[in-house]
Amino acid sequence: MLRLYHCLLALYPASYRSQYGGEMLSVLREVEIEAAQAKTWARISLRVREIGGLLSGALTEHTHQVTGFYPAPVLFPRRPRMRTEFRFPKATAILMTIILVAVIMAIEKAKAISDSLPPSSTPIPQIQPEHFSTVTTFLVVLGLAISMAAVGWLVAFSLRRSGVQRFSDVHPGGGTSHK
Amino acid sequence: MTTAPVTEPVLLILLSLAERPRHGYAILQDTQEMSDGRVRLSTGTLYGALSRLLEDGWIERFESEDQSRGKQSYRLTAVGRRNLQAEVSRLKQLARIAGLRVARKET
Repeated sequence: MLRLYHCLLALYPASYRSQYGGEMLSVLREVEIEAAQAKTWARISLRVREIGGLLSGALTEHTHQVTGFYPAPVLFPRRPRMRTEFRFPKATAILMTIILVAVIMAIEKAKAISDSLPPSSTPIPQIQPEHFSTVTTFLVVLGLAISMAAVGWLVAFSLRRSGVQRFSDVHPGGGTSHK
Repeated sequence: MTTAPVTEPVLLILLSLAERPRHGYAILQDTQEMSDGRVRLSTGTLYGALSRLLEDGWIERFESEDQSRGKQSYRLTAVGRRNLQAEVSRLKQLARIAGLRVARKET
């Protein structure tokens, strides 16, 4: 990890690096000691924050050297930093990671199956125009889209979240009745 | 001299140095402690802020007497302390107004 931090520090302008590089590396060494004692998730979070900080710091300092200005007004912001109510759910990141791992495993498995099969001398036939029809494809895609929409609506209806149910909760005087 | 408001991380760095001079890692730990773990600065962000504060003459760098860890330390300058006091006064004024307005709304 320290080697990676060292590489990221090399992205900073030389003058900045000569002034703060050694000191920053010494701080990063202490951060790493702290990370080694932390739990897995905290350790990952700490390292991601450090890597992000070094990358954005290097970009900021280079921009400052070229233009004379800081790209992000860190010291004197012109407007307050606002946090929106939306937060990216952690479950989505976990789910996406699982899907990615599953796809990689499936590709590896397919490669293994392909390698285990004896080489075939008969070439795979080319797709001929008669195998492909724009109208049929369009109808199939349309059918699939309608089916998916119907399933989605059924799920929303069963959760009482469909448009019809939401409109029935709206009162003429304004506001909604929450159940 | 009036100064523009500083960001929360910078304010925490200044408050950390207002108590006593500190080196980089000690500032990181102190800012985290002061904010109840809410603000955790990265090393890149910390040194970006420190270099700008040095440039503006709010803080100064000096060789720490404790050379066992071989670190440079940072302390507030007179200008930095004055600007920090102005910032704290501004925040107090804002908190007072906020308190009054929120209380009025609740009644």
